[in-house]
Amino acid sequence: MIKNKKLWLLILQYALLILVALFMMFPIFWIFSNSLRTLTGISQFPPRLFPEEPQFSNYIEVLYNSNALVYFRNTMTLIVGNTIGTLLSSSIVAYPLARMNFRGKNFFFALILSTMMVPTVAVIIPQFIIFRELGWLDSLRPMIVPSFFAFPYNVFLFRQFFLTIPRSLDEAAMIDGCNRWQIFSLLVVPLAKPIFITIGVLSSIWWWNELFQPLIFVQSNNLRPLTTGALLGFRVQGQQHLVQWNLQMAMATLMIIPPMFLYLFAQRYITQGIKSTGIKE
Amino acid sequence: MVNRAKGIKENLWAYGFLSPWFVGFLVFTGGPIIASFVLSLTRWNLLGTPEFVGLQNYVSMFSIGSGFVNSLRATLIYTVISVAVAIFSSLFMAVLLNFNVKFLGIFRFCFFVPAVMPSVAMAFAFQLIFHQQMGILNYGLSQIGITAAPNWLNDTFWVWPSLGIVTIFTYSTGQMMLIFSAALKEVPEQLYEACDMEGANFFQRFIHVTIPCISPIILFNVVVGTVNSFNSAFSIIFPLTDGGPANETNVLSLELYNQAFRMFNMGYASAVAVVLFLIVGAVAIVQFRISKNVVNYD
Repeated sequence: MIKNKKLWLLILQYALLILVALFMMFPIFWIFSNSLRTLTGISQFPPRLFPEEPQFSNYIEVLYNSNALVYFRNTMTLIVGNTIGTLLSSSIVAYPLARMNFRGKNFFFALILSTMMVPTVAVIIPQFIIFRELGWLDSLRPMIVPSFFAFPYNVFLFRQFFLTIPRSLDEAAMIDGCNRWQIFSLLVVPLAKPIFITIGVLSSIWWWNELFQPLIFVQSNNLRPLTTGALLGFRVQGQQHLVQWNLQMAMATLMIIPPMFLYLFAQRYITQGIKSTGIKE
Repeated sequence: MVNRAKGIKENLWAYGFLSPWFVGFLVFTGGPIIASFVLSLTRWNLLGTPEFVGLQNYVSMFSIGSGFVNSLRATLIYTVISVAVAIFSSLFMAVLLNFNVKFLGIFRFCFFVPAVMPSVAMAFAFQLIFHQQMGILNYGLSQIGITAAPNWLNDTFWVWPSLGIVTIFTYSTGQMMLIFSAALKEVPEQLYEACDMEGANFFQRFIHVTIPCISPIILFNVVVGTVNSFNSAFSIIFPLTDGGPANETNVLSLELYNQAFRMFNMGYASAVAVVLFLIVGAVAIVQFRISKNVVNYD
């Protein structure tokens, strides 16, 4: 009797899990499925789950006859630039907040925490004006250079990790005659590898997906990253409202594969990073 | 004396380490916030010099029938819907992932992976799914006998439930799910055992043990989700509806974008930025109050 009840419970649990998993994966499946159709196949009614004759030519069309590879190169430039920039600057800024006592420490930390919440939209106009004065509009610089001046959220993540390294190590190194920079670069950084990977992965995913800033700062088609490229690059020539859906879907499929694999292989780091928003462990 | 010299040296080292952030703060955050206040008192189309107009931008913003009042309404509706949907769906999925079954890794992957997808790609998918004539959702509805199916993204009422559904697949929901998952593991096992002794069923256990135990985390997620929704609204709504139909979903961030970068009303758009900043500031203060009790920053 009890065994029977347990079996039913187990079946119910698996059924729920599978149902929700199918639901959550459906949009991704739908992008992929539509990327293999012709333009008329997409508007076919009733819609079929799988295309009758898979059109792999959509991918060839996207890779050879669109700007996809240029968009990809621009996105990679943003990712590499921002990852280097934020790993360097945010870790440096986080060090004294985690491991030193100095005047104004609590004030500065509170200020960093509060700027974490300022939406990019709220400060975009003055930034736009600054970059216009510098002559940086329509280039990738407005989206890369700021990363070398520390992102508050990443500073926060670094600080949380640095706190877990015993402070007695710093004191021992001080007695041995190391200065603060040597302690940071030779002692703390090597011990903090996991958080560097976490922030590198999160930053890469973020810039892979970022839409707003490229929309503001970049006008030329050959400077667009994947997001604005996919959004604006597949309009039928001369007709702003007609979209080549099949090609756009092939493009979208190419765009969802990298973050998927990054999540698959770096799941541990991503989960750790997202969870350490300060919840008590 | 020696100690004091040492203290000054230590301070200098610390400020040296902080200097990149200090420059970044002045140029990219603090300075722009002040500049927005100043610009909001002007009329300027990016050409020539800004013309001082006092509070005129704010007056026209709050005049009856202005696009701004409509945007405030849209922001309020979007925030309530997206936070509510994210809380319920993430908690539901976290509960499922807390089952004592095999292959949880695969399920966790399926539940979370939409969160790291580009919002642009998801917008493409949902434009097809929600399409009135050729969309698979309305086809599915017609198969179960609902023929008067709505025109999801092009109807001023149904666009909100549509955005609610899309919210399930966003980063905000994924993040909350991970936080809830961690919290559910912390619920003391003895409490569940006590419940089983009393013969409580799954739902009674959930209402009387799980919810009270994780209520601080729910509160935390509500506030974090609210702040998130201001940040993510643009990247979700812009590619999906571009503020439509009939400006119904024209939230504050889209209104700011349209005013500043489509109509070049820089002064007016700055006034919108100031209001957006004040709203986020108010939410942030609530968040700090709550965080003090719930989360541990040390």
